[in-house]
Amino acid sequence: MSFFSLIIKNPFRNKTRSALAIVGIAIGIATIVALGIITDGLKASTEETLKAGGADFSIAESNVSDLFFSKIDEEYIARIKEVDGVNDVVGILMAIQRVEDNPYFVLIGIDPAKLSISNIKVTEGQAFAAGDAKEVIIGKVASEKLNKTVGDTITLNREEYEITGIFQTGDLQQDGGAFLSLENVQAIENKNDTVTMLYVKIDNNADVEEVTAKIEEEYGNDLTTIASLEDLASIDQGLQTIDTASWAISLLAIVIGGIGVINTMIMSVYERTREIGVLKAVGWKDRRILSMILGESIVLTLVAGLVGAIMGILGIQVLLALGMDSFIAPVYSADVFIRAFAVALTVGLLGGFYPAYRASRLPPTEALRYE
Amino acid sequence: MNKENIVEIQNLQKSFDHGKITALNGINLEIKKGEFVSIIGPSGSGKSTLLNMIGALDKADTGSIVVSGNDLIQKKDLSEFRSREIGFIFQLHNLIPNLSVLENVEIPMYEKKMSSSQMRKRALELLEYVGLSDKLKRKPTELSGGERQRVAIARALANEPSIILADEPTGSLDSKTGAMILNRLKDLHEKENVTLIMVTHDMDVASLADRTIKVLDGKIQN
Ligand SMILES: Nc1ncnc2c1ncn2[C@@H]1O[C@H](COP(=O)(O)OP(=O)(O)OP(=O)(O)O)[C@@H](O)[C@H]1O
Ligand SMILES: [Mg+2]
Repeated sequence: MSFFSLIIKNPFRNKTRSALAIVGIAIGIATIVALGIITDGLKASTEETLKAGGADFSIAESNVSDLFFSKIDEEYIARIKEVDGVNDVVGILMAIQRVEDNPYFVLIGIDPAKLSISNIKVTEGQAFAAGDAKEVIIGKVASEKLNKTVGDTITLNREEYEITGIFQTGDLQQDGGAFLSLENVQAIENKNDTVTMLYVKIDNNADVEEVTAKIEEEYGNDLTTIASLEDLASIDQGLQTIDTASWAISLLAIVIGGIGVINTMIMSVYERTREIGVLKAVGWKDRRILSMILGESIVLTLVAGLVGAIMGILGIQVLLALGMDSFIAPVYSADVFIRAFAVALTVGLLGGFYPAYRASRLPPTEALRYE
Repeated sequence: MNKENIVEIQNLQKSFDHGKITALNGINLEIKKGEFVSIIGPSGSGKSTLLNMIGALDKADTGSIVVSGNDLIQKKDLSEFRSREIGFIFQLHNLIPNLSVLENVEIPMYEKKMSSSQMRKRALELLEYVGLSDKLKRKPTELSGGERQRVAIARALANEPSIILADEPTGSLDSKTGAMILNRLKDLHEKENVTLIMVTHDMDVASLADRTIKVLDGKIQN
């Protein structure tokens, strides 16, 4: 039997204790995996929102804590259009309304003539009219959830809107919501002459960096340009918070998991004191005993990593089934799983070292006398 | 040093609990290569302590002890010495419960540069020698006391030691099973010329040896 097989056999001698340790660590890993999948999903959909269709970059209010709180005076639409290299500008106003049992229904107000800049394709029916006509187009996902289609009505802010079309962008956040005229959203939100963001399309021969630099120079006090996810992360505290939270949870998982592993392995070494004495008597070196116990600890945490990854994925499936699918599109990237296994390995190494060291230093006669 | 002697001990002292308990109080002993020596004496007289010194499981306080040409007071890597020279058999078999008979016999071979298949081959030979070829896959709990002790003998022989140290190998067996184990050990000593040092309480068992040493209060009685 290889040394490796021997190491694999040992953690499963006390099944209950190992199972408990595995579950403890797996919960931490599952949280890391689930958060990672959600964060990646949010980043991807935010990126899609930024790069919306024909737009080359977006503009938001500078120094806001979250993109959602950004407020820009509508006047800027005309001013930005004047900047060299800018081809077209559209202002959008975002709002969140409760619609039936979805408390986070996203409304986006936009000039219907500029829908293309935001990559909206009306797949059924037609776009809403400009101005204050009570018309709306809803996303494919929203249409399925609400079980409504062209010709039906939908109540927004206690007013009836007629659904004139169904659209699809491929972005879950948008497909789960609705587009209507800027004026209507401004009225619903009581934000006259205000937009959340501007989408900017530049001339074919213009350069994004040059144009954004010009805008930052001229209007930097009030506005900030967002051409990439990194730009966004630096102003969007929501994304920052999630990133920080997932690192903090990873750290917590390492600490809690590590303590669990130390405990489990110390118990295991303690129970096997006599056996370790025998291994020394038959000529095992201290280093081999250390590798064995450390190896057992790593086997334990890697199994926990696997269980945790599966639990994380299942957890996401449950969240989606419970209705989160209207605003989260999970992204399963290798990065998340690599990070989860790196955490598991770290926990195994950190938690296993002390018990392994203790075992390796047991005096053989003492160990053999142990009852 | 006499080349015939595999064990040479001079004025060896060992105490425990910071000198409060004197376990060995000036042992002088020579054992020839290939000899079968039994050690007797009352409980607490220091027999196991002496055996542990010879097997380098513990270090003496003062005196000198040379085993197979190794000065055990000076030597650093004692595990390497144990792996190469010594085979232990304890009163309780001390087999590893979750491993099969075959795997238990392979345990000492990890420190040798042997492949898994070489380890297996050697373990199979040894188990055939102790008559357990039909119980390779059994766990220690599925064996009788005598069978367990035979596995322990096979394990002790795994690395072809020059000395077998047995601490009351029949102490927990009935007399008939004990006799069978002793026959195995004696056969081993006669056929393979292994040096055999055995601690026992039983005078009849001790009389099987070439020579009997009596230990009393940490000293050898003449
Ligand atoms: N690790 C230890 N710590 C403290 N005292 C010890 C230790 N090992 C042995 N002793 C003491 O040293 C003395 C000799 O012990 P040893 O085990 O050598 O006796 P023994 O002759 O083998 O006895 P028995 O026949 O009961 O096995 C005893 O008084 C014992 O209590
Ligand atoms: Mg004893």
